[in-house]
Amino acid sequence: MSTALQIIIPVALLAGLSLAFAITIAFFSKKFLVEVDPKIEMVESLLSGANCGACGFAGCSAFAEALVNGEASLSSCSATSMESKEEIAKILGSADVGEKSIVVVACSGGNSCLDKYAYQGYGDCSSVELLAGGRKACPVGCIGMSKCIAECPYHAIELKDGCAIVEQESCTQCGLCISNCPKNLIKRLPANAKYYIACSSPDKGKEVRSYCKNGCIGCQICVKNCKEGALSFENNLPVFDYEKCTACGVCFEKCPAKCIKKIDI
Amino acid sequence: MSVTAILVLVVNAILVNNFILSRFLGICPFLGVSKKIDTALGMGFAVIFVMGVASVITYALNLLLIKANILYLQTIVFILVIASLIQLVEIVVKRFSPGLYSALGVYLPLITTNCAVLGVAIMNVSIPVSSAASGLLIAFINGISSGIGFTIAILILAGIREKLETADIPKSFQGFPITLLIASIMAMAFAAFSGFNIG
Repeated sequence: MSTALQIIIPVALLAGLSLAFAITIAFFSKKFLVEVDPKIEMVESLLSGANCGACGFAGCSAFAEALVNGEASLSSCSATSMESKEEIAKILGSADVGEKSIVVVACSGGNSCLDKYAYQGYGDCSSVELLAGGRKACPVGCIGMSKCIAECPYHAIELKDGCAIVEQESCTQCGLCISNCPKNLIKRLPANAKYYIACSSPDKGKEVRSYCKNGCIGCQICVKNCKEGALSFENNLPVFDYEKCTACGVCFEKCPAKCIKKIDI
Repeated sequence: MSVTAILVLVVNAILVNNFILSRFLGICPFLGVSKKIDTALGMGFAVIFVMGVASVITYALNLLLIKANILYLQTIVFILVIASLIQLVEIVVKRFSPGLYSALGVYLPLITTNCAVLGVAIMNVSIPVSSAASGLLIAFINGISSGIGFTIAILILAGIREKLETADIPKSFQGFPITLLIASIMAMAFAAFSGFNIG
């Protein structure tokens, strides 16, 4: 056998075998294709890939699947970097709202809102909520016992004068706080929102004034002054229509109770 | 080929020269997937399938290699066959049994580098035979029964480990230490089969 043949035969044999196997596998992978949610792969590629199992799942791929199915929380993974987590939160967040959003606390009462009773004891907002609907005189006011702050994996919420406020710089819109607030005070707004009503009280202006200095008094000055007609008045509260809002800021300036807040990003 | 010869082959592969407990090949999945009987059984069947099919294909390809006088390609060709087969098994298992797929996890692709599979392929071609056809048959039977031997060993270990879940084990022995001890005692028990004077 010539030297040339000695090289060509093994090469041709191996190449032929590989080709045959490749075609077979390609055929079967098409035939038995399992449709996987593309989000799972995207999330998995963003996870650290350490497969440490600290999250309680079999590995990063199992964790990614649970994340996309809403069965797990990103905060249980400590191996993935914050930047990647934010990316993942965007992917997962888009599952809920369809696009980027802004999360705000629709209350500014805090210490300016009177207490119904003095609570001394163990627990967070949820335990206080069980006692006569919370310690605040306002039926929907922020209790200020830091449940959202404890839940937030990004430390994006802080207490300001006894009321929770979202730090937009650190917030990833993951929505953990929204589902954990017993007062349902934390709201998800569309990404183009520049102003929001920092009060949720359904009471009439006079009543609100009796227990909270920062609450909406229902004067409707914002509604009357809005040139775009982006504000309407429902249930004793102004309501933004963010599709019409041009962020001119007139409502923000004219509000006598200062309960329209600016979102600074 | 007589029935006795086939029986000898089967008993030899399953008991006397059990791949895990006598030859000490394929220990990785043996320890890794033996926590639950269900997954151990799934792994066992995957190995039986891969060993059976790989034995036949590698034996046939080995004849080709001998003809072309390029026997030095044996290992790489065998690995190629085994790796491709694992890919196929993985696709099929993923499609038809997602539960088993996630239970086997990383150990399914790891059969690719399972030395037991390569071991059975190489042992097959070293068995002296009268003709190519009987060689193929012997390779197939040997492959299947080696897989059964693997399955029996992993099933026994999984059964013992399930019982151990509720047992009061000293802290320093919990987990892998006790598993390795059990494996060694099982190997000693299987060593008794080498007293069989067959084959």
